[in-house]
Amino acid sequence: MYRVPDARVASMFRAPHVRTRHLILPTPDEEGIPRETMGELLGKHRHGALQMGRDAVARCLDPLGLCPADVDYLCVVSSTGFMLPGLTAMFIKHLGFRIDCSRTDVVGMGCNAGLNGLNPASAWAAANPGRLALMVCCEVNSALYVYDDDLTTGVVNSLFGDGTAAVALRADAQDEPAFAPRILGFHSHIIPETWDAMHYAWDEAKGRFSFRLARDVPYVLGEHAHIPVTALLDAHGLKRRHVKHWLVHSGGRKVIDAIKYTVGIREHDVRHTIDVLRECGNLGSGSFLFAYERLMAEGAVRRGDYGVMMTMGPGSTIETALLRW
Amino acid sequence: MRAFETLSYDEDGALATVTLQQPRIDMRMVRELTAVCDHLEDDSGSRIVVFRAAGEDFLLGIDFKEFRDAKVMDIHGFNKWEKLCVRIERLPKATIAALHGRVVGGGVQLALVCDSRIAASGTTLQLDEVHHGFLPGMATFRLAKYVGLGRAKRIIMQCPELGVPDAIELGIVDIGVDDLDQGIAAEVARFGPTHAVSIQLARRLLNESYGTAFELAIGNFLAAQHRAITQSAFLDALQTDEDGRA
Repeated sequence: MYRVPDARVASMFRAPHVRTRHLILPTPDEEGIPRETMGELLGKHRHGALQMGRDAVARCLDPLGLCPADVDYLCVVSSTGFMLPGLTAMFIKHLGFRIDCSRTDVVGMGCNAGLNGLNPASAWAAANPGRLALMVCCEVNSALYVYDDDLTTGVVNSLFGDGTAAVALRADAQDEPAFAPRILGFHSHIIPETWDAMHYAWDEAKGRFSFRLARDVPYVLGEHAHIPVTALLDAHGLKRRHVKHWLVHSGGRKVIDAIKYTVGIREHDVRHTIDVLRECGNLGSGSFLFAYERLMAEGAVRRGDYGVMMTMGPGSTIETALLRW
Repeated sequence: MRAFETLSYDEDGALATVTLQQPRIDMRMVRELTAVCDHLEDDSGSRIVVFRAAGEDFLLGIDFKEFRDAKVMDIHGFNKWEKLCVRIERLPKATIAALHGRVVGGGVQLALVCDSRIAASGTTLQLDEVHHGFLPGMATFRLAKYVGLGRAKRIIMQCPELGVPDAIELGIVDIGVDDLDQGIAAEVARFGPTHAVSIQLARRLLNESYGTAFELAIGNFLAAQHRAITQSAFLDALQTDEDGRA
């Protein structure tokens, strides 16, 4: 571990809810401090996204017997570095996607963005039956890392991990080749009063970007979480008790607790969310897909089951999607 | 609300009353109690639910002739009954079990999932399943929290028939009453202004208390407390309180 002089920050790194994470870390200088320039951080985002993106695309498509050239629509979601041209263009250049592939880059929407990407991706798939859409959530959170003595920086540095996840969508009559759910609908919610409760912005005084997470964030998200969930379920004539599976973003232990008690779900319902947090940290936009992967690996999902996906992030934003297997 | 065969349901303002009309639990009763839970969760404006029985006894346990779909014995009926018990345990209302006569097997389980238990004089409680060669449901999980592990072993393995004084001593009955109707009215009054949200959250934290590490429980409490203090029931009461003082 790098030199962390503040005991409170050091204790955050030892907290039990995040045990392991994947990070791309620099070599510290002789004082034990990891110094990285903005350029180095942006380079880390670019290389990390390509490396991890390649793996995630293969992990998603290989088991389906598909390859990048089969993809007709590509959506890449990322908030960990600005690039122009963006990641979809880079993926076409390096990962074997076709040059006539339709594409969307969802940039800078934060941890909730996986569902903001899934919404247009599923709409595209529904409008183009039989054709393949792919969403890749690509977050190199270690490219956002800064080193300073702020407590908030400590919270951020001890929480986030690097991770990339991909999901394939296709509107077919049958759910072949894989047992997969249908997406029945989305419902969004934003809390404009808390616009800057979570932000990553240029700090003029410090001459660099810095991350801010207000301490009430978990509770504010918790307080509002039932609103989009209820609206989503109402639109389909469903009650909370009809939902078998919950795929909640691994935002942090406090926000998961807050959602448990406002939405009225149990520790068992967030078992995969908590597992992802413990093993990988907060992976940003792709976290809920890691929970989805664990749910499907568990083998407990039955045909006809309903599931709710739920992601939370800056704005403050709560995004939800309703699934049925 | 549709008409029921195994129970009657009555709602009078804040008070909902479920009156069991047969002494044995069968699949019909499980289905009808489940429908009552749907109504209580979705549509009912009541704040307190009383579970009582019309006949000589509160409940005498399971009717095995009517507790399975197939000819062979299987676990599915038990699963449905336990799911129902969890539904009742988590209702967004305060729940009272008003007991009389014999309370056997599943009847004790139903009493344990309620928030309070009152018993008319002469009531007896018994978990007799082990003497019949099977198990008293998830009373195996809940009972020890009420009475401690040693006493729970004795009650479940030796199947004693417990009178009201013993049941009160053990903590599985809260209050003995001479007249059940008066007892119910007094118990309803004791719950005072029941707030669905704070009742549910307090009960949930209490039910989770034995199985959660303190480090997790404190996080759970803070999340639940935030939920409680941001709801209108609390904020309105606070406002009234402050206006009164000013």
